[in-house]
Amino acid sequence: MSRAWDRFRQSGSMFGFSTGRGRSGGDVELLGRGSSTHTVRLGRVQPQAPTHRTIYCNDRDSNLPVRFKGNSISTTKYNVLTFLPKGLFEQFRRVANLYFLMISILSTTPISPVHPITNVVPLSLVLFVSLVKEAFEDWKRLLNDRVINNTPVDVLQNEKWESIPWRKLQVGDIIKVRQDGFFPADLLFLASTNPDGICYIETSNLDGETNLKIRKALERTWDYLLPEKAAEFKGEIECEQPNNSLYTFTGNLLIQNQTLPLSPNQLLLRGCSLRNTEYIVGSVIFTGHETKVMMNAMNVPSKRSTLERKLDKLILTLFGVLFFMCVIGAIGSGIFINVNETYLALNGRVEQQFNPNNRFVVAILTMFTLLTLYSTIIPISLYVSIEMIKFIQSTQFINKDLHMYHIETDTPALARTSNLNEELGQVEYIFSDKTGTLTRNLMEFFKCSIDGEMYGTGVTEIERGAATRDGLNIAETKPSSTAIHEKGFNFDDPKIMRGAWRNEHNPSACKEFFRCLAICHTVLPEGDLSPEKIIYQAASPDEAALVTAAKNFGFFFYRRTPTMIMVRESHIEKMGKIQDISYEILNVLEFNSTRKRQSVICRYPNGRLVLYCKGADTVIYERLVDGNHNIKRVTREHLEQFGSSGLRTLCLAYKELSNELYGSWNEKFIQAKSSLRDREKKLDEVAELIENELILIGCTAIEDKLQEGVPSCIETLSRAGIKIWMLTGDKMETAINIAYACNLINNSMKQFTISSETNAIRAIEDRGDQVEIARYVRDSVKHDLERCLQEAERSQKDIPRTKMALIIDGKCLMFALESNLRGKLLRLSLDCNSVVCCRVSPLQKAQVTSLVKKGAKKITLSIGDGANDVSMIQAAHVGVGISGLEGMQAVMASDFSIAQFCFLSDLLLVHGRWAYLRLCKVITYFFYKNLTFTLTQFWFTFQTGFSGQRFYDDWFQSLFNVIFTALPVIILGLFDKDVSASLSKRYPELYLEGIKNMFFKWRVVGVWAFFSVYQSLIFYYFTSAASTNGLNSSGKIFGLWDVSTMAFTCVVVTANVRLLMECNSVTRWHYVSVGGSILSWFVFIFIYSGIMTTFDRQENIYFVIYVLMSTLYFYLTLLLVPIVALLGDFTYKGLQRWFSPYDFQIVQEIHRHEQDYSRRNELLEVTNHLTPDEARSYAISQLPRERSKHTGFAFDSPGYESFFASQHGIFAPHKAWDVARRASTRTNITNS
Amino acid sequence: MEMIHVEEISTSALRSRQISSIHHLRQISFTPKRSKKSEVIYKFTQQNLHACKLSLTPQLVISLFLLMGIIFVPIGFVALHASRSVVEIVNRYDTECMPDEFKSNKVAYIQDISVSKNCTLAIKIPKFMKAPIHIYYQLDNYYQNHRRYVKSRNDKQLQYGLHYIQTSSCMPEEYSNGYPIVPCGLVAWSMFNDTYSFVRHGAPLFINRKNISWKSDRDHKFGEKIFPFNFQNGTLIGGKTLDPTIPLSEQEDLMVWMRASALPSFRKIYGRIEDDLDADEVVFVNIGNNYNTYTFGGKKKLVLSTSNMLLGGKNDFLGLSYITTGFSCIFLAVFFALLHVKNQRPDHDTSHFSWTRKNTIS
Repeated sequence: MSRAWDRFRQSGSMFGFSTGRGRSGGDVELLGRGSSTHTVRLGRVQPQAPTHRTIYCNDRDSNLPVRFKGNSISTTKYNVLTFLPKGLFEQFRRVANLYFLMISILSTTPISPVHPITNVVPLSLVLFVSLVKEAFEDWKRLLNDRVINNTPVDVLQNEKWESIPWRKLQVGDIIKVRQDGFFPADLLFLASTNPDGICYIETSNLDGETNLKIRKALERTWDYLLPEKAAEFKGEIECEQPNNSLYTFTGNLLIQNQTLPLSPNQLLLRGCSLRNTEYIVGSVIFTGHETKVMMNAMNVPSKRSTLERKLDKLILTLFGVLFFMCVIGAIGSGIFINVNETYLALNGRVEQQFNPNNRFVVAILTMFTLLTLYSTIIPISLYVSIEMIKFIQSTQFINKDLHMYHIETDTPALARTSNLNEELGQVEYIFSDKTGTLTRNLMEFFKCSIDGEMYGTGVTEIERGAATRDGLNIAETKPSSTAIHEKGFNFDDPKIMRGAWRNEHNPSACKEFFRCLAICHTVLPEGDLSPEKIIYQAASPDEAALVTAAKNFGFFFYRRTPTMIMVRESHIEKMGKIQDISYEILNVLEFNSTRKRQSVICRYPNGRLVLYCKGADTVIYERLVDGNHNIKRVTREHLEQFGSSGLRTLCLAYKELSNELYGSWNEKFIQAKSSLRDREKKLDEVAELIENELILIGCTAIEDKLQEGVPSCIETLSRAGIKIWMLTGDKMETAINIAYACNLINNSMKQFTISSETNAIRAIEDRGDQVEIARYVRDSVKHDLERCLQEAERSQKDIPRTKMALIIDGKCLMFALESNLRGKLLRLSLDCNSVVCCRVSPLQKAQVTSLVKKGAKKITLSIGDGANDVSMIQAAHVGVGISGLEGMQAVMASDFSIAQFCFLSDLLLVHGRWAYLRLCKVITYFFYKNLTFTLTQFWFTFQTGFSGQRFYDDWFQSLFNVIFTALPVIILGLFDKDVSASLSKRYPELYLEGIKNMFFKWRVVGVWAFFSVYQSLIFYYFTSAASTNGLNSSGKIFGLWDVSTMAFTCVVVTANVRLLMECNSVTRWHYVSVGGSILSWFVFIFIYSGIMTTFDRQENIYFVIYVLMSTLYFYLTLLLVPIVALLGDFTYKGLQRWFSPYDFQIVQEIHRHEQDYSRRNELLEVTNHLTPDEARSYAISQLPRERSKHTGFAFDSPGYESFFASQHGIFAPHKAWDVARRASTRTNITNS
Repeated sequence: MEMIHVEEISTSALRSRQISSIHHLRQISFTPKRSKKSEVIYKFTQQNLHACKLSLTPQLVISLFLLMGIIFVPIGFVALHASRSVVEIVNRYDTECMPDEFKSNKVAYIQDISVSKNCTLAIKIPKFMKAPIHIYYQLDNYYQNHRRYVKSRNDKQLQYGLHYIQTSSCMPEEYSNGYPIVPCGLVAWSMFNDTYSFVRHGAPLFINRKNISWKSDRDHKFGEKIFPFNFQNGTLIGGKTLDPTIPLSEQEDLMVWMRASALPSFRKIYGRIEDDLDADEVVFVNIGNNYNTYTFGGKKKLVLSTSNMLLGGKNDFLGLSYITTGFSCIFLAVFFALLHVKNQRPDHDTSHFSWTRKNTIS
């Protein structure tokens, strides 16, 4: 299974790689010095061979001499012969395995104190497990390959389609591919069943795009569709050699002495599939491993978690300790060795290792001896255990968690790599995309204010969140009977719905308001002309929402011709009366980002001339007619209130025009429209002339629908100490607005804005000198940064600390990321609680991510859903993709994929935190266990004249890690839970322990090390001291092997019980594994000491355990030693809990007596005694009322993102509306 | 990556498999009746296995300490009492048995064959000693656990004798005069050869030297038909010579000696006196002080010790450590109890959270 994902990963990342490149080109262009061509390339583009290949279509014999490669593919890593050498080679590339290989080799030499078995058995077990895993994966790959290679395909043979397996396909063959079939090789597209020689293909396997792409065959070849006809096809293709550039292809088709140039348009790539076309006929150009897809196969280095990198340091330290111990022993041995030890017979024949005449050699050799003896200090099974634990964690826990399963889209969470589970528990910075991640890109008309009166009863999520913070719980109110909820409209207010507006205090203002909504727009109606079925195609979802709102208020815009807008108006003169009115549209003054407004001049059927205008509050207010300050003031208050509720606002205004005024203005307009130079600018200037002295009608508030639970998730995450940055390609207004809506920014924060949209910069830009623009912007960015930094540092000292937010746009960011300003940017942004970067390119997203990752050395997570997030996802420590509706690119590049942003809280706070906690425990426990075990040997060395005599039997030592203490630690790594999942989310602050890395600090390791020294001393000295002087009534004495067996029993028991002490929750599996491990030791020793083997070995352990167990000494020691050994840890843990408890321990205590609720029954929220209505009105009244600048204006300029992306060589999908709009425009024109 | 279309096949399969497993889980979680197995799987994947919480609360810590104290102290006293009831007499004789003229050159004394090595010690029995009284010799500073020493033996040869050819492990005592040595190796070669005989009231005391080795050694490890062959015939004599007519399975001294000791100071059993010895009785020991410990400064001691049913010989260590541990546990229990009383952390107190603490400080 992981295999398949691996592949996805590779293809995905290869795409991301290229995006990075494409972007860098784009940035140059921003400065105006770039070249104009940007091709997107995937992967490395290999240098082309100077030659080309010539293919004779439909002629196998002619192609024979060239020996093109076959179409069968093999993706396996190994075959039967290479498996062992290659697999072993792979294994020994791991340092730990290599180390043990060396130790094993050392232990076959006479200097080794241990039998080779001691090191060979664990090593081979570890290798065996790893190799079995490799073999299994490769076997699945092989099966997969077989399936592919044997897929049938129709090939033209003897004027008939014959079905042959893919692998038998040859270059030059003519084949037929049916609808929904995959192309078996790279094909030259010859003919299709579609009349105009086109076919549709889906490339989702290549780049994740699900939208269809069109390929067109050369007109000359259209006819070769039927087998009889196709058999006549004799063409000669001259084309480039196989290469990995997916989007380029050059070649010529020589047919009947004609040379026709070929382009990528005629190329059908292996891996794509045919859609909406009955079948196509094509000729094979590249086969098997020479197809472009296969040549793109690229290995992507997998990410390693920070914890593992720290683990490497620990292992390195252990090597240091090992070396130190060996040196001590070696020096000791050199000093000890002496001819006088007569019983050692050192004066006769003596090996170099014990030759007293050469003490230096003795020391050196003893050093190697001790190296083999103490090799257990490096935990050999650690890596394998960690891999197993992580694998189960990701496949069983993360992938199957129902809390991260999205029912609507039927999408579970997916861990695409198991390397990074614990990294999820330490994330400090989240970089999030906006559209599709935080928002649904769905605009809904939510509230409005007409003539100073506010309408709309809905409560936004942010209001709800603010209320909950104040301890109120706003229940969902039942929608009233007038409430209508459709796409783009989520509004309820009985005061104006269903014509009720006629009874309001100013119905004429309402009428103007609704007409403005219905007339002033550039929307196209589509489909059935009934109110229920009509579909509005709009340049931005905001516009569609406004027109939908007008429809629901009884002003149904249903048809547009180039000069007319037709509106079906209800309830105008009388309730219930319906009439169709056509408004003549005289001029449309379009929206753009500098004007920030849009106007329409229309003539009523009765001749009334009106200009309707909608736009940002700032630009509308500037142009209002004097007077009527009351409405302006009230409306402004409403605007601010909407803004702080996270709604997007627009002001509506109108102006009556006289015929004369309009006539003279229109002349100027036509002049400007027909001017050839600076037309846009002139149009803007003309528009200024008429867009003045407007009368304010009111304002609208549109909710940019957030993804489910986003604000609360963001709040939870920020309580958990995670800082969330929003990186978006959107405009600054939109970005700020969403930041408000998501709780990233609020009015109490100090905001630093660094923008390139200032008048000064615009003035310079108008002059058009790129060099000067760059210089000026750079200076101003530098100046801004310094100013903000000063301010930030000043307010750092405030008590309580002011929260700060930084908002920066892409152009400024480009300069701020330059090396001389980067440091300042980093310092400033790390001081801020949230950062919003708008109008940033994908490359900049990645740059910002790696700025924090590398510059601040913090753990980062990027989350996004689109192709433009790929680079950022790959740059971060952890990449999360939103697996939802569109595209798979982000998912393919990611490490984890989830369906909803709000699942992040589960992923990080629950799974991440647990994984981190568990892994820390596993690692430290391994460290403790092996250190303790090895140290007992070390203490023994001192009493053996530093000879390197082993304390334990060979088999004890070799099985200690792989049998007697192997399973419980894995159980710990899987099941340990400090607090339940619901508590983890209820106390997000617990996550801080991970961010601060509380459980894998050197201090923690030091404590473990201290106690393993203590325990090892207890083990060694207690068992040996207790074993002197006659041990049963018959007065027999125990020897070395008896004492060591006793000590080893104590070590096994203690190590296992110690693990139990480390667990926060103990399941049945804990008992089974801990008990089983201890039991396995006894079973082993009973058998082992009961038999004599025929091998050449010393029967040291023979009968030992039986004699031991016949003495009281055994039982007394077995009771005493583990308890004394654990007494230290136990006391320490008690004191630690007492004097400096970890947060999770306090939570445990607080909820000690509560049942551990299953995760489905979330803990009951604390409720209050207010009725829902009271609570809601109270909550709303509690909202911040201070004057703020934020009024929530946001309006997407048409197709900004895709436009921006495509300009710089990034392939971004055209938005659906874009395509549809173009289509409908066309039909409209034909209609009229 | 390669074959991308395969991926589609395989991933869609994977996805559907995964989704179906999720569906499965959902079914499990929502349907009231579920099979035991799927319930377990559900609980496993949702990490919801039944678990008891282990947290070291003050109450638990205090009671555990108390419990341990209550168990350990009595055991300790019983063990100490048992150990104290053993009468043990230790006599160092390697210096006593040294004639004065050799005091300055001990090595010369022990290597001089012409000098008599016999010596007599008078031991006054301090307390009544009940039979059997074990006779041990104790060697100090003797590294029987040295690596060169420990491995220089061959258990196969002890079992199969000359049938077993491989004796390389016995370096350097494997061959002598061109023949293999049985038993080979340094351990056997350096066998202790001091002798003790006891005289009480002028009459020799019988010393039972049977059954001093492990039964498993006699039965399985040391061959019944293996006779010491070519033993101690080399240029250097290490220690005791063995009677070549007695099979190894009956050479109990050898078996005792060959059971290598754990520490450089060790006792080995020599035999048993099967008569009671009364208090204030004087026992004379005739010692054949043959074994050379003088070159490396090893001490030789003769130990007479009774044994008890519980612990065997005199060993205060276990008793004392039980008592110490027990009392420390009680002490800790009291300490924690005082802490608990004086400074109780109330339940539901959130003021100890690190994040709240930080806020209050700033």
